Amino acid sequence: MALFQEADGDPRVALDRLADVLSYYGAVGDAAAELAFGFSLRKAAFARSIAEALEVEAPLLDAVAIAGLMHSVGALGNPALVRESDLPERLATMERWDIPAAGARVCAAIGAIPEHVADIVRWQSEAWDGTGFPDQLRWNGIPVPSVALALADRLVRANEPEEALASIAEEAGRSFAPTHARAFMLWFHRSGAEVEPFTFPRSTLRSEFSDPGDLLLDIADRIDRHLGVAGRARNVLRLSEASAHALGCNAGEIEALRIAALTFGAGELGDAFESTLDPLVRLGLERRAERAVAGARLLEGLPTVAAAAPLVAARAEWFDGTGKPAGLARDMIPIGARILATAIAYDAIDIDTRARPAARRTTAGERLDGAAGTHFDPRVVTAVLDAAKAHA
Amino acid sequence: MIELHERTRRISPTRIHEILLRYGAKSLVDPFMGLPTHLNYLKRHGIAVHGGDVLEWFVRVGEGIVVNDLTILRDHEVAEIVEMIPGRIYALDLFKAWEGVFFTEEQCVYLGVWFDNVRNLRSDGQTGLAILGLWRVFCYWLQKAQEPDEMPDLPPSELAWYYIRQTERWVASNMRRNTVRQSDVMQTLERQRADALLFAPPPRNALHHADPRIWMWEAWWQGNPYFTLEHAYRDTLFGARSNDPAAYQRSIAGILSEAGEYPLLIVTTNESRLGEIEPIVRNARAKVECYAPNDSEIYLIATA
Repeated sequence: MALFQEADGDPRVALDRLADVLSYYGAVGDAAAELAFGFSLRKAAFARSIAEALEVEAPLLDAVAIAGLMHSVGALGNPALVRESDLPERLATMERWDIPAAGARVCAAIGAIPEHVADIVRWQSEAWDGTGFPDQLRWNGIPVPSVALALADRLVRANEPEEALASIAEEAGRSFAPTHARAFMLWFHRSGAEVEPFTFPRSTLRSEFSDPGDLLLDIADRIDRHLGVAGRARNVLRLSEASAHALGCNAGEIEALRIAALTFGAGELGDAFESTLDPLVRLGLERRAERAVAGARLLEGLPTVAAAAPLVAARAEWFDGTGKPAGLARDMIPIGARILATAIAYDAIDIDTRARPAARRTTAGERLDGAAGTHFDPRVVTAVLDAAKAHA
Repeated sequence: MIELHERTRRISPTRIHEILLRYGAKSLVDPFMGLPTHLNYLKRHGIAVHGGDVLEWFVRVGEGIVVNDLTILRDHEVAEIVEMIPGRIYALDLFKAWEGVFFTEEQCVYLGVWFDNVRNLRSDGQTGLAILGLWRVFCYWLQKAQEPDEMPDLPPSELAWYYIRQTERWVASNMRRNTVRQSDVMQTLERQRADALLFAPPPRNALHHADPRIWMWEAWWQGNPYFTLEHAYRDTLFGARSNDPAAYQRSIAGILSEAGEYPLLIVTTNESRLGEIEPIVRNARAKVECYAPNDSEIYLIATA
């Protein structure tokens, strides 16, 4: 999908975009797995360094780092983690065991990343004694690069690095091979568990095999299925794009808006908040603003998608200045954010309207019109409704 | 001290499941199942699984994690396994032959206690779970004998408790009939039909290279520390012919011929054995796809 503007044949641009979208994917995986922001970046950095200490072959080190970044992408769509999942705890635990294998399938489908990444992700939760998951591999059947990922995981999850050191020593011969536990301890004492921050190994990417726009669209689809709103991002993208053209936005604004339309949903991951609340009522506004900020945070620091961050962050602002989180009004709200907010609201109201009995039905257009001037920019409302009519 | 294997066979049930899904197979037979943790995975994902093996302890574990849908071991039942029960008579010197060679005196006593205790459990499912949990203790001890300073000292009953409690998390139902049987490969194939056959041919001379953690646990289960694999495999298809390359290949061809009715055949091998196995599979089936995700995991997938 031509989501981004032409790169004028510069191969570095394609690699940068791909690296940023993959980094975003890693952050989305963390959010879906209910892990702290930045977990995958820390895990990737530690995993690479630990893999060196475990004498993993040099060509595989970058694959280990990328696997660290992508370690939890399999959490998206996991039945135990999807919104409104009501699985009993025992079944939910079993479902969670499938996260590494699901992640491996995701990685294997991304042609641009090294092929070893998928299997490193697949076996990251195996234990030396065969009590891990999903494959219950044991002893030397577990590849060492995956062991590096498992050790890094312990380190990132621990409150203090020494806590990880103690738990790994305690589990030598059970979760970890004694030799690997020893190598980890040596690494720990030499490095002090301090490593260089993760930088994406761009040279390992084969950009000809993956389009960053397609990848972003795929991520959006998976997020929507996870949240139980399949197809939402595509609808919002269509409405936003048509409205932006009608309102005379420039190419840069339209590109940022496209990215925002495909990424705003990520802010809702890991949040069980009722998603069917009417977007036009004040109830839940603060929560919507929190999600907006959380979504924007995933995009910041990634140049390819960072332009969308202010739009995502401001999607809960209201035109009259009574919205959240900053209380921006009128032209203080970026035009892209005004369009995005209106398109998201239209999509939500439209789905809700169609679900009601015909006799009690007020059309989405009528409801959105009623909020023009207070919640939404009237010009934008007209543009979004025109776009919706044109599509109908 | 005993030498533990550097290389271990890798069976990836997630990968096998992906293959089964791709070909729409809903049931599977594995006549060389070994430790059936992979069948447990497939079962939990809705596949009806049927396994067979010559070693009895593999079959017993299968009764715990493959056949068993519901039964777990509660705390008081685990307590009855891990320590001596007052009033029960134990053969405490049953594994005396291993003392000072592989295990300490205390460990040998515990092996004797556990040998009796697991035989007094209430169901096959519980027995299977207990055997699996205790096997992991056994492996821990053998590993610790190799690297005494690297692994923590844990009291036997605590370690046994830890591992037996863990086994219950694998118990699940798939609302299908799942079976395991103690039989040689041909008998398993004769008695059970399914959509797919998983065939992991044992290497030639496999008997002589078997992991001690596998055959020693069969010795424990049999209550015979002098047990060797030759005892178990003497009259089996591969046991009798393991030294002769031509007979070995004929045995594999015979199995593939017997498996002709299976719509899907998955033969697992690795890079070093592919040259030997692939021609036999291609000779048996017209349509064979080679799927090689890595050097130690190669799947020859044959369809009708």
